[in-house]
Amino acid sequence: MTVIKLTTQAYCKMLLHAAKYPHCAVNGLLVAENQKRKDGQPVLCVDCVPLFHGTLALAPMMEIALTLIDTWCKENKYVIAGYYQANERIKETRPNQFAEKVAARIAENFSEAALIMVDNSKISMSCYDPAISVFEHHDNKWKCRDASIDCCEDWSEAQKIMSALLEDRSYDSLIDFDNHLDDLRNDWTNPEINKSILHLC
Amino acid sequence: MASVSDMYDVTWEEMRDKLRKWREENYRNSEQIVEVGEELIQEHASKLGDDIWIIYEQVMIAALDCSRDDLATTCLHELKKQFQGSHRVKRLAGMRLEALERYDEAFKMYNDILQDDSTNTAARKRKIAILKAQGKSTEAIRELNEYLEQFVGDQEAWHELAELYINEHDYAKAAFSLEELMMTNPHNHLYCEQYAEVKYTQGGIENLELSRKYFAQALKLNNRNMRALFGLYMSASHIGASPKASAKVKKDNVKYAAWAASQINRAYQLAGHGTKETKCSLKAVEEMLESMQIMPS
Repeated sequence: MTVIKLTTQAYCKMLLHAAKYPHCAVNGLLVAENQKRKDGQPVLCVDCVPLFHGTLALAPMMEIALTLIDTWCKENKYVIAGYYQANERIKETRPNQFAEKVAARIAENFSEAALIMVDNSKISMSCYDPAISVFEHHDNKWKCRDASIDCCEDWSEAQKIMSALLEDRSYDSLIDFDNHLDDLRNDWTNPEINKSILHLC
Repeated sequence: MASVSDMYDVTWEEMRDKLRKWREENYRNSEQIVEVGEELIQEHASKLGDDIWIIYEQVMIAALDCSRDDLATTCLHELKKQFQGSHRVKRLAGMRLEALERYDEAFKMYNDILQDDSTNTAARKRKIAILKAQGKSTEAIRELNEYLEQFVGDQEAWHELAELYINEHDYAKAAFSLEELMMTNPHNHLYCEQYAEVKYTQGGIENLELSRKYFAQALKLNNRNMRALFGLYMSASHIGASPKASAKVKKDNVKYAAWAASQINRAYQLAGHGTKETKCSLKAVEEMLESMQIMPS
């Protein structure tokens, strides 16, 4: 079974998105490099594109985002490999119908797509535990993967950098697709945050 | 710890004015409100005059958002002293209990207010907020509908209802709630645009046509609404490609889609003027629009 792993950049941007809008649901996409993988090699999600915050379950902007980011992926030899969502309520960790639909759509194009739910209760300044649950598609259902499987390529690095970013309030400058639609000059690839993360590595 | 006034080189009057702006425009930037408000209260309380009470209220709510129970309690204490027996202050005390997840006690507090004053809308809405926080969406929706039967003009409540329905994937009822909002606010482009999004999500050719019309209306009300422009493009493209549409309808929609595409390109060009980063966005948009180009069949 192919395992999905996240790089520090992907994990951190995803959690920064959740941290920026603590009172809203947020969602976004995960992208991986589009290359032939050997058997048993994990799918590595190298980046994350934060999409929306607030009311998530509406189709048109999601379709635009998926199409636009798909085009961007093709230019950069990436492929959309996953979808993440953080629910509005802290105790709500299960994916809803909308999350499953979007993830299924992504899976049509990339069979090993993952659906990642952020566990809001695990987000803390010290980042003690990885704050996500990974769901995989089996027999038309999304099943939660064993939590003991490492979700990050390098958890101790991700933990250290995530903590530093939260201290710095880097989430204030994170741009999601909603911010981009509000002002087209806002760049959803977040180059400044990517630089900060690289700098901290 | 550097003070806000030092860090950003602002006077206390500017801080007070900023708080007012955030208050009037209903911003939820709680961390900033706490930072600015706390300093204003601690260093400049005497200069604020009667403004201080509404600032205490604003800072208290922001403090609850940031888990700053210490600050919230301080603000609440001052307000209780000044406005003894006030329902407005009692509601704030209830909100503090909500923040501490002591929902039963908060519920009781709001019921006490309602016993005294059955028309107190704030207390009723907090009770519904508790249901929402507890994940009891169906009950929250039911209570909110009952509330709206009595208080038909409460726009904030209609919008909340629309969002609750969207989260439950009940798009038909969400559309109905947004229709109420559009009737009373015909010039609000955001309601038009959200209504169009709901119709689009419902799907089917009739809903798509309605969706396109409302995206167009939103654009007419505010020609810089990018969501409306993208929505117009998507809905027109889908209708143009639909086997259920007549030849004339297809032809018209292909034209609308083409117009929208050129406007989108233009908007991106204007935005990308000069910056290197947005150029990659522009290229992606151009390619996306090209690849989606609908040829009339």
